[in-house]
Amino acid sequence: MDTLLSLLNGFSVALAPSKLLFCLVGVFLGTAVGVLPGIGPALTVALLLPVTFKLDPAGSLIMFAGIYYGGMYGGSTTAILLNAPGESASLATALEGSKMAKAGRGGPALATSAIGSFVAGLIATIGLAFLAPWLVEVAVKFGPWDYFALMIVAFVTVSATFGDSPLRGLTSLFLGITLGLVGIDKLTGQARLTFGVPELLNGIEVTTLAVGLFAVGEAFYVASKRLREPEEIIPIKGSLWMSKEDWKRSWAPWLRGTAFGFPIGALPAGGAEVPTFLSYSTEKRLCKYPEEFGKGAIEGVAGPEAANNASAAGTLVPLLTLGLPTSATAAIMLAGFQQYGLNPGPLLFAEKPDLVWGLIASLFVANVLLVILNLPLIGLWVKLLAVPQPWLYAGILVFATMGTLAVNGSPVELMMLFAFGYLGYLMRRYDYPVAPMVVGLILGPMAEQQLRRALQISLGDPMILLENPISATLLGIAFIALVAPFVMNGLNKFKAAED
Amino acid sequence: MSQEPLAHRPDKPALLVGVLLLAVAAIVGHDASTQTITSNYGLGPTAMPYVICGGLVLLGLAHLFVAFREGLPKPEAADKSALLWIAAGLVGLIASIGLGGGFVLATTLIFACTARGFGRRAFLVDAAIGFVLGLIIFLVFAKLLTLILPSGPFEQLFL
Amino acid sequence: MLTSFFKRGAVAAVALAGLTTAAFAQMELKIMAPAAPGGGWDGTARSMQQALMAAGISKSVQVNNVTGAGGTIGLAQLIGAKGDGHQLMVNGFVMVGAILLNKSPVNLTQVTPIARLTAEAEVIVVPTDSPLKSAKDLAERLKADPAKVTWAGGSAGGTDHILAALFAQAVGADAKKINYIPFSGGGEALAAMLGGRVTAGVSGYGEFEGQIKAGKLRVLAVSSAKRLDNAPDAPTLKEQGIDLELLNWRSVVAPPGLSADQTKALIDATEKMVKSKEWQDILKARGWDDAYLAGPAFDSFLKEEIARVSKVMTEVGLVK
Repeated sequence: MDTLLSLLNGFSVALAPSKLLFCLVGVFLGTAVGVLPGIGPALTVALLLPVTFKLDPAGSLIMFAGIYYGGMYGGSTTAILLNAPGESASLATALEGSKMAKAGRGGPALATSAIGSFVAGLIATIGLAFLAPWLVEVAVKFGPWDYFALMIVAFVTVSATFGDSPLRGLTSLFLGITLGLVGIDKLTGQARLTFGVPELLNGIEVTTLAVGLFAVGEAFYVASKRLREPEEIIPIKGSLWMSKEDWKRSWAPWLRGTAFGFPIGALPAGGAEVPTFLSYSTEKRLCKYPEEFGKGAIEGVAGPEAANNASAAGTLVPLLTLGLPTSATAAIMLAGFQQYGLNPGPLLFAEKPDLVWGLIASLFVANVLLVILNLPLIGLWVKLLAVPQPWLYAGILVFATMGTLAVNGSPVELMMLFAFGYLGYLMRRYDYPVAPMVVGLILGPMAEQQLRRALQISLGDPMILLENPISATLLGIAFIALVAPFVMNGLNKFKAAED
Repeated sequence: MSQEPLAHRPDKPALLVGVLLLAVAAIVGHDASTQTITSNYGLGPTAMPYVICGGLVLLGLAHLFVAFREGLPKPEAADKSALLWIAAGLVGLIASIGLGGGFVLATTLIFACTARGFGRRAFLVDAAIGFVLGLIIFLVFAKLLTLILPSGPFEQLFL
Repeated sequence: MLTSFFKRGAVAAVALAGLTTAAFAQMELKIMAPAAPGGGWDGTARSMQQALMAAGISKSVQVNNVTGAGGTIGLAQLIGAKGDGHQLMVNGFVMVGAILLNKSPVNLTQVTPIARLTAEAEVIVVPTDSPLKSAKDLAERLKADPAKVTWAGGSAGGTDHILAALFAQAVGADAKKINYIPFSGGGEALAAMLGGRVTAGVSGYGEFEGQIKAGKLRVLAVSSAKRLDNAPDAPTLKEQGIDLELLNWRSVVAPPGLSADQTKALIDATEKMVKSKEWQDILKARGWDDAYLAGPAFDSFLKEEIARVSKVMTEVGLVK
């Protein structure tokens, strides 16, 4: 009950007109910036940090939280409309979302992502308010072996994005993992596959690969077959709003996405990518219309988007309760706290309850503001698709290259974007799925690092993976998920033979 | 296994992908073999590359096998001029950034060339649109976010 | 419209600033942060920009980011800007190691050193329930079996790693055998500490401060010469008989080939900035310690650090 009282008290802080204004500015900026591919909430908060130096602490922290949530909303808009996933977390959203947008279902896609984000944000923020101290105890217990097992579970689920040929899917995945090797090995500081090019030492940027394969590759592909079978983009077909059917197909993915996103986001090395992949493949498996996946299934947007936003709230659990920054944005928000001499952690709850609970309450407020801000914008966004095709794709390329330039303005990075774009074109032409490649780039290095850390701690004994209950359970799940389809297949054949 | 398929000629794209995968595997393997620094405990930096190298070899061989079977899906002929226009736009963009021409010129080129690749015949109009778009983006970044996108002589006028 | 508005604002600001500091009012500066926006070097560059402009030392300061390879790409660019007396670059201790690790073709002896600005002490911590009570205990454990002492800290070859290696050397353990586990970012290393996954943690004091004050981590030692003002209970390494001192410093450097006048102008501008109220306010707000050291003194300090780091990195086996 104490928590509830504190939270109510927090609302009295967050709903003060001046704080409401900060929140509004934050969500507005966050949405605007999140829409730009490559420019995430972390960068925005970092750039605004000096500006807010003279503002009052509560106000500017509330604004940062608004930017954080807003950026998550904005990112999905670009992924759906332009097929340019600017953050790795919106990769899964782009898969189905962009297909829906081109088929005239951009309205429902954006709506399910906005409302899904709202629902997920709401539940996850409630989780943050009530479960944080308990959850964080569990979260810090997660060792490298447990993370490795979690990555393996995520890897197994990638096959959901393989399309109809396991060979081509696996090839794409392995090329992605190969790209993940490029750069400095985090554990020994040694360069791998850099061929003496200093720009490669930092590794391949996920957004460069994703934007190259998705947006640039698509532009090449559509242009190449423009004369034979011109692509038809239908801005709006049917209702701009979600139909009854859409609601029915969305609510469960929202909840399941939240269930993946919040706890994994709260893990210090959980991240936002793994829950979105898990959500995508779960939805594909559970969906009543699996044949729609790959052509624009609404579940494939609703689930990952909810997971994405819930993980953003999850990240705040270790940040507020322990002062652990576990994402780039959280690290910068921590710098924001410290600029006012505040150290997030158990003491802050005791010393500055107004500030902490005001911040948590403002997350609820930000969520409401975002859904109010975003729903009317959908009509406007969808009109973007009515822009004549040459200008639409020209604009997409401008935005894609701008995102790359803002983060890393070197010609080498642009050459990679070009090369990945052409590769994306070739892969589309010969029907290789592009998503597994990006997934491989994201998960490969994570899995490798965690496994090596685990073995470094155990001094090389691999049994550590099976001795710990969490990792053993997760590896068991991965194993079942891997063999179950074969067993089921065999059983079906057996049954068929019986008949 | 090999009774009927060898009758027709191998599928060239699949053959090529197979060879390329084997080449990538060779590069990864070679790079790993030249590493000098190892970890004291647990797995070193070469374990993962060797695993991937093995995977790539298997996938390469599988492609070679497939080349003599059904091959890869057969794509339709592509509109080469469209591809060339977009590629030209990207090359122009890279050149403009690399040689100090600046962001606005780069945007102008990529916009106009891409629109041309998609069949527009009004190059100068499109260039003008690209120019204005680039200038707006540059100014928003420079003034609101204090982030300076690559700037050439033209952009310097606004800083 | 928008630009003319901004220009006019800037002109007005310069006119005001010109009244107070005529000598430097004309100085236009470009500061390169050789890292992505948002990181530590970027923060230093942007804080300098803020202080230089607010104190009226410089009429326009542009910050640009050159990302990659631990800052060595930016360094190469700076060395390319030979003779440019308006260009500065932020760098720090970490770059010394990165140059060696990346086998960079350029290095810090090629630049014109301007000044060291800030420094942060490192701390060695253990979870509160650890049996280790002092740096001596840790040293004993390390000498007995270096493999069993797992260290959590930042990137390989970074400040944390170098401190762990120097510590092993200073206490007479085999530095080559240390079991150092790099984590990405302070958060993950901290979580590994709190979860009791590792024996000891190394990081800048600021990153662990919250947990230290909350009583979840115990400081075994700080790496500075004197005890820290905000943690007076934590003993230094020297007090415990371990001859080791290490600071994670940040500095500014300029391109090579500057005339003596150009170098002096840059040092003067930096000194003025360091003494300004604006800079001191920023230091306080961000929790950075003033470690101003300029000219020849900084030059020889830099050389010593380079020698020390290359020695330990070779001995540990990070560089061959």
